[in-house]
Amino acid sequence: MLTEFALPPELEARAPAEARGVPRDGIRMLVSRRSSGEITHHAFGDLPGLLLPGDLLVVNTSATVPAAIRIAGGLAVHFSSPRPNGDWLIELRERQGGATVPYHGGIPGQPLDLPGGAVLTLGERVTGRLWRARLSTAVLPYLFKHGSPIRYSYVEHDWPLESYQTVFGTRPGSAEMPSASRPFTPDLVTRLVARGITIAPLTLHTGVSSLEGGEDPYPEPYDVPPATARQVNLTRSSGGRVIAVGTTVVRALETVAGPDGTVTASAGWTSRMVTPQAGPRVTDGLFTGLHEPRSTHLLMLGAFAGDGLLRRCYAAATERGYLWHEFGDVHLLLP
Amino acid sequence: MTTNHRIAIITGASRGLGLALAGGLAADGYRLVVDGRAGAALRAAVAGLPDPAAVTAVPGDIADPAHRAELARIAAQLGGTDLVVNNAGTLGASPLPALADYPLDELRASFEVNVLAPIALTQLLLPSLRERGGAVLNITSDAAAEAYAGWGGYGAAKAALEQASNVLAAEENTLRVWWVDPGDMRTRMHQDAFPGEDISDRPLPAAVIPALRRLITERPPSGRYRAAELQPATPAAASAGQA
Repeated sequence: MLTEFALPPELEARAPAEARGVPRDGIRMLVSRRSSGEITHHAFGDLPGLLLPGDLLVVNTSATVPAAIRIAGGLAVHFSSPRPNGDWLIELRERQGGATVPYHGGIPGQPLDLPGGAVLTLGERVTGRLWRARLSTAVLPYLFKHGSPIRYSYVEHDWPLESYQTVFGTRPGSAEMPSASRPFTPDLVTRLVARGITIAPLTLHTGVSSLEGGEDPYPEPYDVPPATARQVNLTRSSGGRVIAVGTTVVRALETVAGPDGTVTASAGWTSRMVTPQAGPRVTDGLFTGLHEPRSTHLLMLGAFAGDGLLRRCYAAATERGYLWHEFGDVHLLLP
Repeated sequence: MTTNHRIAIITGASRGLGLALAGGLAADGYRLVVDGRAGAALRAAVAGLPDPAAVTAVPGDIADPAHRAELARIAAQLGGTDLVVNNAGTLGASPLPALADYPLDELRASFEVNVLAPIALTQLLLPSLRERGGAVLNITSDAAAEAYAGWGGYGAAKAALEQASNVLAAEENTLRVWWVDPGDMRTRMHQDAFPGEDISDRPLPAAVIPALRRLITERPPSGRYRAAELQPATPAAASAGQA
């Protein structure tokens, strides 16, 4: 499988498209078709013409939370995901320059003083990076008051929370932006609707780079509402294609799909992975960003495109200077 | 997974809206845990439901912490809680006194039942609700928003419940939190509010059950809803358009 490749630093998107002098929907889009093995290059604005009337785009309505809290001692806390008992999974980071790197300290039971008089008490380590912890106040309202969006070192400076919101984001809860829907604008959505392409919502709140670090995924809350389940089933039974906008949408849809690809509405927690060995049952296509080496997202992409085509896509994207990460260009994987 | 049944707790289910909703949710395949203050009335009401075996009746006062813990324990034994319907409420003093004369012990008791009890029960159930992507349905009233003379005690308590629901929705983003105004109904509480008056022009509680079932089934975003706006389209209306 494609997991190792060299990502030249100049291909890392360091700022939002708008800040690079391009409108949100003015980025580039690589399109691959598994049936023909064909790769074509487009502007994102070509999307309506590349889909067919009767296709269904499923989008994630999770909005980004300002999940990073700077604390004393040159540290930062990234709030990732809630646990049912009210604990949160958090990551401790060390500030370096403007960005942060993983911090390996911390003792179980240790209380950390946070801005505004809040106290975060560490529980136990859950993975190499993540702790269970309990905040002394309600987390989401606290983050909206004191937090800033999580930023990694390839992004050169802070951008306001609006830069991390998508047009579909209505339910706050993701520690990192569900970035595939970032280029969608009201105008583009209108053109999709006018072409006869349907859009249906679900929610999956995603944690901190949950699937980027070669770690096992931890459960994330999802919600596939009944009206969306009906739309998915109707689309499949009438010959349309179900296209996920983002890897989070694939995970939620595949969580609620039966062996025959029929989906049932539900809400809960999922650790579902999609890999070439456990491929998609209900999702026909995937619209996503360009993913970094060694990420498990690449396994999911391989399940849609096949390894050979995915390798050619990433070679073409590198050669033609596509941009990576949440502010970068996009990739439409069609069946 | 020990069961495919979803599990709901409905408070105040021995008559009125709570009982009608119990019948509706049982028909939708829910296992129910219901309460009411009068044990005999509660048991008789449950016995009259189409599938009494699906319903566990727990007599008790929702303002009693031990009773709330019992409800939570029984739901946990069934597997967890997918839905809690905080329906039990009290009108307070009847006939309705003006705020100028409202007996403060009655007002305190009203807040105990209408505000603190639903918050306390929800607190107990939150871990299970979060685990199961569950929902909280708080029954409110237009008296929470409108200035009806005489309704100051009940209205203030329902307004408090509404704001608690509103904040809970902001804090618990993996849950659905709905607060619903069912509208005027022909219930004992409504009769107590208008003693001696003929309220037979008000609809029976059964009339709003399709709206509540639709809310619970379709799981719209957290927020305030009026039952009148949730009434499902009738099959005739749904099929009236051109094919």
